[in-house]
Amino acid sequence: MDLSRRHFMEAGLGASLAGAVGAGLGLPASAETQNMPAWHLGYQNAPAGGFDPTPMKLVFGKAPSDLKGSLYRNGPSQLNYGDAYASHWFDGDGMIHRIAIEDGQAVHQARFVETRKREEEQAAQTFLAPGFGTIGDESYSVESPDDTNAANTSVLVVNGELLALWEAGSAFSMDAETLETKGPKTWRDDLKGMPFLAHPKVEPDGRVWNLAVGGPRVGIYRIGANGALEDFGMVNIGRAAYIHDWTMSERHLIILVQPWINENLRPPVVAGFEWQPQHGLQMLIVDKDDFSNQRWVQAPPRMFYHTGSAWEESDGTIKFDAAFYKEPVLGVDGGSAEIRGEWSGEYATEEGVLTLVEIPPQGDAKLLETGVIGEFPQVDPRYRGKHRNLVALASGASTARPGATALAVHNWTSGESQSFEFGYNRMVEEFLFVPKQGGQSDLDSWLVGPVLNIKSGVREICVFDAAHVSDGPVCIWQADYAWPLGFHGTWA
Amino acid sequence: MTRTASFAALIAASLAAAPVALASDLTVNVEGIAKAQGSIMLGLFDEASYEGDGAVNGANLKVDGNSVTVTFEGLEPGEYAVRLYHDVNDDGEMNTNPFGMPTEPFAFSNDAKGRFGPAKWDDAKFTVAADGTTHTITMN
Repeated sequence: MDLSRRHFMEAGLGASLAGAVGAGLGLPASAETQNMPAWHLGYQNAPAGGFDPTPMKLVFGKAPSDLKGSLYRNGPSQLNYGDAYASHWFDGDGMIHRIAIEDGQAVHQARFVETRKREEEQAAQTFLAPGFGTIGDESYSVESPDDTNAANTSVLVVNGELLALWEAGSAFSMDAETLETKGPKTWRDDLKGMPFLAHPKVEPDGRVWNLAVGGPRVGIYRIGANGALEDFGMVNIGRAAYIHDWTMSERHLIILVQPWINENLRPPVVAGFEWQPQHGLQMLIVDKDDFSNQRWVQAPPRMFYHTGSAWEESDGTIKFDAAFYKEPVLGVDGGSAEIRGEWSGEYATEEGVLTLVEIPPQGDAKLLETGVIGEFPQVDPRYRGKHRNLVALASGASTARPGATALAVHNWTSGESQSFEFGYNRMVEEFLFVPKQGGQSDLDSWLVGPVLNIKSGVREICVFDAAHVSDGPVCIWQADYAWPLGFHGTWA
Repeated sequence: MTRTASFAALIAASLAAAPVALASDLTVNVEGIAKAQGSIMLGLFDEASYEGDGAVNGANLKVDGNSVTVTFEGLEPGEYAVRLYHDVNDDGEMNTNPFGMPTEPFAFSNDAKGRFGPAKWDDAKFTVAADGTTHTITMN
């Protein structure tokens, strides 16, 4: 850690923003939030009308001249109606953010995804739809998965089309410029209403692969870089395992069947999970060219939410990285306490461990654990499915508040890790790799991501040099308001 | 045979004896049809048949606009419900996605909606009066 830089961030930045904090935040203090701890800013509702495009201020460093594009992000941004709090982080309405960066300028804008759930609950000013942690109101009809779609987990841009992603229903098509909602995306008439996971895998040439999960039955989407569905097939994974993410190499799809089973997918979904470690972590490896060409691989029991990406060695060994837990954590109670402003600190010790999974051509998989803890692993989009060096994670933990405190990068080639500790005052989210112009490897990348400054009550977008993360941010843009914590993003 | 015949004769006699009381007409209007093609496949049910496959009456109605109408004549007054779907591609089936969710529009009388299943009888039922009834269903 660069002490002088840290000193600047903690003292200089904070002081310079004292006026801005008093001037008014994006998140208005309401009666029920006034007595909340500072970190609860990350769980407070975003304005119903969203945020109109607003320039952010460069408050630190120099913006890279080659950094041009949009950081799109999604996250649950309506977690209470008055005293009624969402009982799971997955049940808040999705808000799509766009931070457009060009010529050293960053402009933020955001809109809620106008789902049926959003529209009816806004009209009633209360929660109605059943969900991951919510039973829902008996009067709320459910004739399709999209009737409960919160569209709150991630985003995908394919052929210029912006999609807001959930995992149990359709993607929602959005206007990539205005962020207005167009409606549920149907890839083919006979696939109307099929789920579309929030973790599609995009090959370097733009082809998109994704899964539709319905208990033990899993659909596979193959979508061309032109946005057209090229193929759809079905495989059976044997058990109704929770599948939030999966991974992919150049030649194979790798479906991780974790022993966290839910045979009864009725709301509240989270109540139906059972940890069955006797099964271990099983993986179905599917040939991209022939979905019927499959192989099962066994690994010790692990629970996970997120993978990095996979690659294949010349001898056929498949390797991928993921954030693994020894047993279910975090999502089990879904942050219901944090949403209410309560934090016991117990989850601070239940961190995901960055793990390399090695799948030999024959036999069981091996797990190689690193000393790096964290979540939201990300890799350079130029190397998805291919051999690479780096994986980045939101890392660090505090017993004093929820959320990550650091950005970490691990280099699988050198075995070295770097991190930058932001400290208590900044809640760290997912950082994305953005290739530098003319770069020769994933070491030639920027890492771009948001933090929530809970001391000043504002949002910041930080840029790091992926090869020199421990040197601290290259630059920071700051909004003079806050928006709640989110899940995942994409760069386009 | 004798018993069956006499039973049938009894039915016929009772029908003939009370034609006014049993001859209610029900007109069902289906509005808001999104695509002017295919057919509306409509089933009329009483409480006993609602949960099963056998409708008490039904109609396949060609769609060439955004609404269709059908009249059922000679119904016994009482409670009924309608279940229908729009067979957009005219293949005679209610098409579903690989997970079994309908991919063609469907609706119930009273515009009733289901919750993880079809609309319940109590939500979809309506009364066909002795002097006839018109019921309108709006697709969405």
